[in-house]
Amino acid sequence: MTVKPLCIGLAPLGVVPEAALEGVAAFIRSRLDLEVRILPPFQNPAYAYDQKRGQYNAATILKAFNSMPFDDGLHKVIGLMSVDLFIPIFTHVLGEANEGGRFAIASLHRLGTTADRVPASMDQTIERLVKVAVHELGHLFDVGHCLNKRCLMHYSGNLADLDATSLDFCDYCAEFLAYAIQRERLSNP
Amino acid sequence: MMDETLRIMIVDDELIVRESLYHWFKKSGHTVEAVSSGMEALDILEKKPFEVLFVDMKMPRMNGLELLKRVKEDYPDTIVIIITAYGSIETSVEAMKLGASDYLLKPFKPDQLALVLEKIMRERKLTSECHYVRGLLEEITRFDSMIGRSPPMAAVFELIPKVARSESSVLISGETGTGKELVAKAIHAESFRSKGPFIAMNCGALPDALLESELFGHQKGAFTGANQARKGFIEVASGGTLFLDEIGEISPKMQVDLLRVLEEKKIIRIGDREPIDVDFRLLSSTRRDLAEEVAAGRFREDLLYRINVITLHIPPLRERKEDIPLLVTHFLQKYSHETVKQVDRVAPEAMEFLKSCDWPGNVRELENTIERAVVLSKSRTLGVEDFSFIRPPLIRLGKGRTLKEIEKGYIQKTLEEQDWNITESAKILGVNRVTLHKMVNRYQLKRPS
Repeated sequence: MTVKPLCIGLAPLGVVPEAALEGVAAFIRSRLDLEVRILPPFQNPAYAYDQKRGQYNAATILKAFNSMPFDDGLHKVIGLMSVDLFIPIFTHVLGEANEGGRFAIASLHRLGTTADRVPASMDQTIERLVKVAVHELGHLFDVGHCLNKRCLMHYSGNLADLDATSLDFCDYCAEFLAYAIQRERLSNP
Repeated sequence: MMDETLRIMIVDDELIVRESLYHWFKKSGHTVEAVSSGMEALDILEKKPFEVLFVDMKMPRMNGLELLKRVKEDYPDTIVIIITAYGSIETSVEAMKLGASDYLLKPFKPDQLALVLEKIMRERKLTSECHYVRGLLEEITRFDSMIGRSPPMAAVFELIPKVARSESSVLISGETGTGKELVAKAIHAESFRSKGPFIAMNCGALPDALLESELFGHQKGAFTGANQARKGFIEVASGGTLFLDEIGEISPKMQVDLLRVLEEKKIIRIGDREPIDVDFRLLSSTRRDLAEEVAAGRFREDLLYRINVITLHIPPLRERKEDIPLLVTHFLQKYSHETVKQVDRVAPEAMEFLKSCDWPGNVRELENTIERAVVLSKSRTLGVEDFSFIRPPLIRLGKGRTLKEIEKGYIQKTLEEQDWNITESAKILGVNRVTLHKMVNRYQLKRPS
């Protein structure tokens, strides 16, 4: 019996460059045993805007995803956006996901500059987004943070840390993720 | 490999903060528990240990600083990080003074939290290395399991190295369970003979004939069952130390034999005629008063002089009760480690109870008591109820008192408690008034004027 690969939906919320969506999709398709479908754009999540902080509450967006009409064929959905995200305890987050859940988000907002606040190149910005999005996707498959600073699952608190990680998983996380994908594939024929 | 995860508790009355931190820590593999109040946190800490507490400053009923104070009093090793949305220099200084390890202003940068955890991890590594080194040092400085900082024990610790450097015989006196053999081992370990053997023998445990054979050895065929020649313990101890426990119990014949060995430094195996040179240092112990035994004709005076060149007296536990908390902590660590049970504290009132006991079996009895309590306890903290199996003695019996002295003392105590009311005192003592009068006359008890 052949089991179809699981499909990941990429949902642009508001304005997200095509190249960014394609970059994330290409990495997931090539590196992981998953299919990817880029979804039509959704509106900017104005409901999650916090007037006081001038940022968007990531937890609110993830909760709202639960009531959005995503196709049942999408095993997991990653929302990609360009707005500044936060959760109440942190000044900002680059992305957010609940471990083992269905939805994750990642934002380009803080990825477009260098550490010296000089604009980063488009390639570098997209590479960073891929890292954040795939890191959050790892959490959706229940993979936790990794101590290996080069691994994609290493927690990056700032851009320098993010740039220091490679575009790949360490052997342990790769194994763990492949096993989790296989397990979920078999339980979702 | 060092464990890279922590046991973390989040204490915050805001659900959103608890949830955010909970998930964030979980993603890094930490064991996390989240509660909404200080009282809940203290309840949980009572049952299981946490390495780090993230405590919100502003909470109803018990605020973060109050909780920090309680935690640091009861669990000084627990790291507390204060988090607050209303930071001020005063409160941060206050928190640091009370022992907080860090102070984070909400919202904080994600890498700030990561750095705090990294710092904690580094400190934990250092602390565990420190504990390890301290453990090694303690092993050396506290002479094995002898623990105490009371003046009588400090005097013993001070004497051990001095005594160890000489070659004189040492008599270690003290009640049962005070650790006489540990003192003997420490003397041996500190002596020039430390590379030689330490042979310990309990003289009270063996019948005379067997003791003779064990001490002096025998030739093949010396007696029925002696199928081969065997060295005695004195010979085996050559180059090292021989420790004769309960030397006061040996027979008059053995006393003569031992005296000869000490004078001539030679032994003759049973069934042999050839003397063998021996070179050992004698340490002995007794719970009896050997001077009294000499006076009663039960112990040879010349042997006493030989074995008693230096005397070390180990005080009973009831005379150094200030050492009880230290001993209890040591035994708790030992048995919670051996039994893999997380019992690491004794409630203050339980400690007071332990200090109030007389411990006739001394340190050995205390150790057995702690072991039993740890095994049976269901909580992290041993309370008074965990020691309910200890029965307090009815009357404090002084050492060396005769039955008549105890009877006299008890009658006097009862009369004084009853303000010399003969009828009431007789009732309590279970005798009639006439008998009590006779006893008062016999013991010449007098009402204080």
